[in-house]
Amino acid sequence: MAHRLLRDAEADGWERSDFPIICESCLGDNPYVRMTRAQYDKECKICQRPFTVFRWRPGRDARYKKTEICQTCCKLKNVCQVCLLDLEYGLPVQVRDTALSISSHDTIPKSDVNREYFAEEHDRKARAGLDYESSYGKVRPNDTILKLQRTTPYYKRNRAHVCSFYIRGECTRGAECPYRHEMPVTGELSQQNIKDRYYGVNDPVALKLLNKAGEMPSLEPPEDESIRTLYVGGLDARVSEQDLKDNFYAHGEIESIRMVLQRACAFVTYTTREGAEKAAEELSNKLVIKGLRLKLMWGRPQAPKPETEGSEVARQQTAVAHSGLLPRAVISQQQSQMQGPGSQDHGPAMHYYNTLPPPQPERTFYPSMDPQRMGAIVPSQEGSSSGPSGSSENRPPSEQQQQGQHYAYPAMAPPHGQYYSHYYPPYGYMMPPPPYQQYQLPNQSTVPPLHPPPATQQYQQHPVQSGSTPSSSAPVPPPAPPSSSGSTPGGSAPPVSS
Amino acid sequence: MPKVKTNRVKYPEGWELIEPTLRELQAKMREAENDPHDGKRKCEALWPIFKIAHQKSRYIYDLYYRRKEISKELYEFCLDQGYADKNLIAKWKKPGYERLCCLRCIQPRDHNFATTCVCRVPKHLREEKVIECGHCGCRGCASGD
Repeated sequence: MAHRLLRDAEADGWERSDFPIICESCLGDNPYVRMTRAQYDKECKICQRPFTVFRWRPGRDARYKKTEICQTCCKLKNVCQVCLLDLEYGLPVQVRDTALSISSHDTIPKSDVNREYFAEEHDRKARAGLDYESSYGKVRPNDTILKLQRTTPYYKRNRAHVCSFYIRGECTRGAECPYRHEMPVTGELSQQNIKDRYYGVNDPVALKLLNKAGEMPSLEPPEDESIRTLYVGGLDARVSEQDLKDNFYAHGEIESIRMVLQRACAFVTYTTREGAEKAAEELSNKLVIKGLRLKLMWGRPQAPKPETEGSEVARQQTAVAHSGLLPRAVISQQQSQMQGPGSQDHGPAMHYYNTLPPPQPERTFYPSMDPQRMGAIVPSQEGSSSGPSGSSENRPPSEQQQQGQHYAYPAMAPPHGQYYSHYYPPYGYMMPPPPYQQYQLPNQSTVPPLHPPPATQQYQQHPVQSGSTPSSSAPVPPPAPPSSSGSTPGGSAPPVSS
Repeated sequence: MPKVKTNRVKYPEGWELIEPTLRELQAKMREAENDPHDGKRKCEALWPIFKIAHQKSRYIYDLYYRRKEISKELYEFCLDQGYADKNLIAKWKKPGYERLCCLRCIQPRDHNFATTCVCRVPKHLREEKVIECGHCGCRGCASGD
């Protein structure tokens, strides 16, 4: 039998479409989707005109979703047809409009005939090819919106609805009930109205989000003026040093970037304090690299402070201090050992750099007292000269070392720091860059490159650890004789026994 | 008055043996038809009808094809009189459909994407293990399970 249309669809101006305009979350995680299309199946929830309803299941554990508003209404506000959230940012209309200071609030009529007329006019214009001034593509995203936007799809909203019989205790369907058997979350957020959400008026979710945005903490610079390092957390394998560099170079000259993949974090050190502050100001809460929202905080000085705030903070400090290589037990031990400047201080502090502590001859209390620690290649008195010369050659690492050293030993002389720059970058378990190895090779015969103190075996395990990175581990052999336990690659430090 | 042709039922032999069961099933069906629908979903109210229809047909099918206790004449008589559904029995004779619940569940025209009902999917291939199909309340009629 011929399928006869009762009315001429074109004449009525009812909407026909071929594919829904929906966001990623509503489409689901499954790349294979079966969708039914029903022309003029339902009326749009906003403008009440018949439109094409698409229905599909966005994933295995999802309920069936269908388009709720017509494409005309959806294009007017640039929202998803199902969830009515912005297509680009995933935010409610009210949030997006406030953040971007758009106000199409008055242009779309809300009542009866006005609304229908407006919708049809708009539809006709769109079909005729006139580009409606869809300003949504042209608006530049500002900070607030970048802070608030959703970066990954959120599939929890595709779950089945809560079983209303279960709430009353009357669900007789039991195991085959397709609805969720949970108690619903009630509260102010539950009273939502699709028209309010669409027009961006009086939307509780939007209000909550805006409040939260207003209160988002800004990153104040720490009191210690010498800190020029920013801690970047939440890293992933996708984010490379180059990405960080690209993001951070704009605010100031980067002295160094140290990535600690074990802790999913990185430390970006600027040459100037102003650069770091500028970066913090601009990027805090807005740092999104490759879709991954990263946390930005100030790096903490590595001088062990008794942190009472909480394990998270302490852990972070640990991360900052040790790049995740030493267990907290070690740190706390070091913290407890922290005394005035002295070899004792010096020794545990060495852990922070994962360097071998300098040898501790009987009378020398400062590293600068010990020529070997000043960079002596041969156990002669080259030390102090090679120190400064080395520093002039290697300005950046020495500066970073200097700064890093500054973290740990406020009392220490800079040349000492420069010495360490040759061998171990601060925060780092990374291998010292190859040029430095020249220093080490001749050292091997005479003094193990890291000058392990004969009495302290524990320290020797650090170069072992750092030397465990496969590439350049050769020139830094584990100091043979005193090193006792085998090196555990990858940073699990054997407990320091002193 | 002209002679009005009536249809008088002439029961073949062997009928007395199966009659009690058939009457029982008929009574059950009437009960299901008259059940109030309270507390049940709209589709759920129809499930007993399909279930009993399946039961009746199953009884006669079993008697003739499996147990071979009734004659062909009696069997055809039952089919003609409407004590069993001959279309459903025709499906049961086919491989893979031995336990078919009802004829709606295999009708692609009745389903989205021209598929069959979920109750036709074997349990080990399904994601949800416990289901009741919407048409007849079937929990799984694939021949394997």
